[in-house]
Amino acid sequence: MVVVKRRWFQIPWEFRESALFTAVAVFFGFVLQYAASGSGIAIPHLPYNAIALLLFAIVIISIGLTFRNTPAVKWLGGIPLGLCLILAIAVISLIGGIVPQQLVAKSSLPSLLGMNQIFSSWPFAVTVLLFLANLGISLSWKLFPFKVKNLQFILFHAGFWIALSCAIVGSFDLQRLAVPINIGKANNLGYTMESETPQRLPFSIFLHDFSLEEYPPQLLLYDPHNDKLIMNKSQAILEVRKGTSATWQGIDVLVLDYLPYALPGKDGLPQPVDRATGIPFAKVRINTASTQREAWISTGSPMLKPDAAQLDGLYLIMVPGTPKSFRSAVTVQDEKGHEIIANLEVNHPVNFMGWKLYQMGYDEKAGRWSKLSLIEVIHDPWLPAVYLGFFMIMAGNILFFWNGIKRTEVEK
Amino acid sequence: MIINFNTAAELAIACWAIGSLLGIFSGRTPALRIPGYVFSIGGSIVMAGFIAFYWTALDRPPLRTLGETRLWYAALIPLVGFLVEYRWKISWLKYYCMVLAAFFLGINMLHPEVFDKTLMPALQSPWFVPHVVVYLVGYVMLAASSVTALHNVYLQLRSKGNHTGESVSHYLALLGFVLLTFGLIFGALWAKEAWGHYWTWDPKETWAFLSWLAYLGYLHAFRYKIDQGKLQWYLALSFLVLLVCWFGVNYLPSAQNSVHTYTQS
Repeated sequence: MVVVKRRWFQIPWEFRESALFTAVAVFFGFVLQYAASGSGIAIPHLPYNAIALLLFAIVIISIGLTFRNTPAVKWLGGIPLGLCLILAIAVISLIGGIVPQQLVAKSSLPSLLGMNQIFSSWPFAVTVLLFLANLGISLSWKLFPFKVKNLQFILFHAGFWIALSCAIVGSFDLQRLAVPINIGKANNLGYTMESETPQRLPFSIFLHDFSLEEYPPQLLLYDPHNDKLIMNKSQAILEVRKGTSATWQGIDVLVLDYLPYALPGKDGLPQPVDRATGIPFAKVRINTASTQREAWISTGSPMLKPDAAQLDGLYLIMVPGTPKSFRSAVTVQDEKGHEIIANLEVNHPVNFMGWKLYQMGYDEKAGRWSKLSLIEVIHDPWLPAVYLGFFMIMAGNILFFWNGIKRTEVEK
Repeated sequence: MIINFNTAAELAIACWAIGSLLGIFSGRTPALRIPGYVFSIGGSIVMAGFIAFYWTALDRPPLRTLGETRLWYAALIPLVGFLVEYRWKISWLKYYCMVLAAFFLGINMLHPEVFDKTLMPALQSPWFVPHVVVYLVGYVMLAASSVTALHNVYLQLRSKGNHTGESVSHYLALLGFVLLTFGLIFGALWAKEAWGHYWTWDPKETWAFLSWLAYLGYLHAFRYKIDQGKLQWYLALSFLVLLVCWFGVNYLPSAQNSVHTYTQS
């Protein structure tokens, strides 16, 4: 076979032309971004963005089907351009994966080029738009005429098209607001990250109670001169319980007694009290080479100083355990009289009239005694479309996996 | 706990070493073949046993810290080597895999983990185990794919054709890609429940997306019938992106606010 060297722009176009085209498109995106002096893109809200997306899909598929034998459209929906665009998205994501995505001074070059908000910048938008066109055209060829053997291709590619386009277009309809509420109060104002002016919600949330459960407190040996914690011999985090023992260089500690909820009594010794007011106390026996003694130590609370045991310039301390779970008992109510009573907990959001309510945070300084709960409320009308895309991708993937395994057997 | 880990790790490494030696010498003395397999697989069984023990001791799946995930790699990577040998009759991959597994255990022996039972509320989710396990197995497949590709590159440089090797690296990459996709989507579904949104361009997400794109690119290049020999380079190098995603992300300036920075207290 005689190898003839391809000339630039010789039909059919291949990788060289695709790479050049993609590079020009990305460059054009950066120029646009610079010209817009760093301000991002604004897309209209529902229903206009949905109509625009639908029109875009129809136009792309019509172009793909009407001109399916035209070299230009063949190239536009082909793998070489697709690969170059995947690479371009990867490079842009790489910028986003290295440069911290946060607000910086408007006049700085990274900001003018959109580097610090790369995923809402023009270069990203231009690349994704071309990518959706490329993907959509290739999809149109497999959709019509429909064949069962193309099902895996269709599910994966259409799923990706739907998920990507709806996630991006839908991000302009996404509402995320944080609602701070004190126990016994109701609130219908939410705050966004960007602005200090609250927005009025279509419902109000009443906080009955906030409760936080902690892991058991931990026993630590603190060296105040070097301001560091000394690790015990077993390298384990020491959870305080009756019978917990620990060993450091020359020091043995045994927990003789543990009261999870207690307060000092009249004689100064801790007495068990109810959960709401008590703090953890532990009676420890400390053995060193020369001495043996016993002491009560405690974690302290916002109202009470902690007790530590001093040992030759070191301190044996007890620190509260990390939060295990926290929840808010709330009543949510809108003006039309819809009402739900719910427990909000991390990983267990609650739905209310198209909104999703999340346990977000609390007053961390007060910890277990926090009177404040932070609830996040989210409205994302595009979520079902994005999930449809996700499930199509997964279905396509199962077929891909299955075919992949089957094919390996044929090729042996 | 740490004493237990060191004993288990040393036992596993010893099993793999003996198994490898027996395997290498079985070329001359076929009687050594079976004992070789027994020892090699025994190493992984020791690690699997240790993981089961550790899981019960912790009262939570040992999947939270990087050190804990390395235990899983150590147990799973040799298995891929054995499966490839069983499937395609390629025996050299398992040696690489066992060395890699021993290396992971070595890192854990040098940096003992803090034995910490706590699991922050966001991680207490039914998605935790599927999300991490799917990624673990995916990474294991892609690691094996990359090792195979490197071996293929080495053979090419010595001008030896190697069609089977190329199809092994391809199918491992294909299966790995499928698992990456599942891991990515499971992560998104979980994030929606725990953090309120399925995608926030958290640095770990960005890098997971990048690794996914790298293999997406590979599959399209393969589909376009680009020279398989050249693609071995691509496969060997793609794994570098995965490595950044796996543990490099924590050191990048963008990772300050990531939800994925595993606390190594």
